[in-house]
Amino acid sequence: MLETLALMGHGFVNALFPVNILAMAAGTTIGIVIGCLPGLSAAMGVALLLPMTFTMDASTGLIMLGAIYCGAIFGGSISAILIHTPGTPASAATAIEGYQMTLQGRAGKALGTACISSFFGGLLSCISLYFFAPLLAQLAMKFGSPEYFWLSIFGLTIIAGVSSKSMVKGLISGALGLLLSTIGMDPMEGVKRFMFGQSSLYEGINTTCALIGLFSMSQALILAEQKIKQRARATKFSDKMMLTKAEMKQIAPTVGRSWIIGNLIGILPGAGASIACFLGYNTARQFSKEKEKFGHGSIEGVAGSEAANNAVTGGSLIPMLTLGIPGESVTAVLMGGLIIQGLTPGPDLFVGETAQMTYTFFAGFVLIQFFMLGIGLLGCRGFAQISRLSDAILIPAVSVLCVVGSYAIHKNFVDVVIMLIFGVLGYLCRKFDLNTAAIVLALILGPIGEKGLRRSLALSGGNPSILFSTPVCWVLIALCVFGILSPILMNRMEKNAVEKAGGDMPDESGDDPVRTSD
Amino acid sequence: MKKTDIGVVAFIYAVCLLFLIMTLQLPSAAQTYPMFIIILLAALTTLYVLQMAVGAKRRGVTSGLEDFEGFLPRQFFPVLGMVIVYLVIMYFAGFYIATLLFMAACLLFLKVPKWQILLSTGVILALVYCAFTLFLKVKLPMGLLFK
Repeated sequence: MLETLALMGHGFVNALFPVNILAMAAGTTIGIVIGCLPGLSAAMGVALLLPMTFTMDASTGLIMLGAIYCGAIFGGSISAILIHTPGTPASAATAIEGYQMTLQGRAGKALGTACISSFFGGLLSCISLYFFAPLLAQLAMKFGSPEYFWLSIFGLTIIAGVSSKSMVKGLISGALGLLLSTIGMDPMEGVKRFMFGQSSLYEGINTTCALIGLFSMSQALILAEQKIKQRARATKFSDKMMLTKAEMKQIAPTVGRSWIIGNLIGILPGAGASIACFLGYNTARQFSKEKEKFGHGSIEGVAGSEAANNAVTGGSLIPMLTLGIPGESVTAVLMGGLIIQGLTPGPDLFVGETAQMTYTFFAGFVLIQFFMLGIGLLGCRGFAQISRLSDAILIPAVSVLCVVGSYAIHKNFVDVVIMLIFGVLGYLCRKFDLNTAAIVLALILGPIGEKGLRRSLALSGGNPSILFSTPVCWVLIALCVFGILSPILMNRMEKNAVEKAGGDMPDESGDDPVRTSD
Repeated sequence: MKKTDIGVVAFIYAVCLLFLIMTLQLPSAAQTYPMFIIILLAALTTLYVLQMAVGAKRRGVTSGLEDFEGFLPRQFFPVLGMVIVYLVIMYFAGFYIATLLFMAACLLFLKVPKWQILLSTGVILALVYCAFTLFLKVKLPMGLLFK
């Protein structure tokens, strides 16, 4: 206990180093810009800027990526409120009430509500990060090879949860990712597998290049296929953004409820901010004393949606950091950020010197929320103008950043070609309802599962009963069953929430922005 | 069922076949795991084929082209082509020259006003120079011609 408190204290001291403060400020600003641009998503932004962090200290790099993540989730609300076009799917519910407030000349108030609710949602989500993450990590420390095998299988069952319209297609995407993860040296036999004569594939496909291709390059191609549209001019506003005491009192219970919803959704595999925002919005309406204001510009509606989507951020980091299982696309990309630093996501992050890095990141994550509040409140007017940036400029700009980012990792031209191949693959996957997030999860978890399985079998002399030998194995098997069944429940929850909210269904891949209106 | 799904299924089977041929060339101890994944992928694809057949019976067949509504081939393929040419030029002429040409060509093609082309190209080049060359100290490709 004392050790944990000391680590927490050290974390805050380290997080306050100027370089980390700079990373928070830069990351949050970049994140908000990415978030408020309809067409760019949080996962895409984090993937695009991942290579920027590889020369940084691990904690600084993670703080920067975390700041981009939080900033992007909040940034989506700016365009949702001002031009009725959510910057990311996580702000789809915010557009319902936020735009109504804009039409009534209360855009400033809507943005202020979004900013303050996002701040509290994100800040409160750090509580669960601090308390649940070490507990889960302690449990994971007892894992051996058979448990790691089941853990990776559990991670792979999440694929069903993040799957698009057809669960079978999602599973096909996962299996395709698993097959691609076998490229490179065989971990037990030392044999070259499927390397196509490329020595740079010795360690397998570079996950970061694949991430950049699947999330960022494919998005540039998606933008390139459609007619370039002129975006609506962001409404200029002159009303005050700060909330009065009475308004703060009014939204406080809503923020509290949305925090719990967002946090639970974040921890659950396969669910994400796009589901949380609708659930937060609906709950706000259910408990509101002014139900009649919903649909006509209710600040409780904006608060419910925004607090819930930002509360997802802290929760979603827990399974990724403690078990090495990313529950959705953004955390999969963040996991790429850890791997790029030579760290293995999982319980090892909470032991020895690495624990200091982890707690510095946690402290940074708390401070990021303050930066998000400050930058959000001060810069909303500027960000509103950026949200009009044309897709015609975004297409080549994103392509250049994808190329330079994938090259910078190993200074290897083959990585750029791999990125482009994955870009085209990602584009085709999205057009034909295959799932890019599932491919990424399988690419990351495939090698872990393979090592766990083959080491277990080597230990038992080929006897598969070792995979069922401990109670933890059985708990993980039960979780696998839950992982497969959870999408049915999630789909039902999401459909109900969207129907009740009267909004549009967010894209289930979680990658594309939802446009309730152009 | 969508007709385009037939292409998806054919592609997945082709991938399975390609990896199967390569797997059979591996030593037997190294074959087991990839073989398991190939069988899993083929089985899931077959399951999807069955789903497609049931779907075709119940709901009929659609072309699947509705997913490509608004698709502009005259815009998409030139942009994709420009990205590929960009990489080729980068290989020979280096990063900065290739990026300058790519940005200008792509923005001109997408009918961006000239002042925005100048501004965007300048901003991107400056951003990459500051972030990657100055800050990260990454040596960006010089190009075969300048080595």
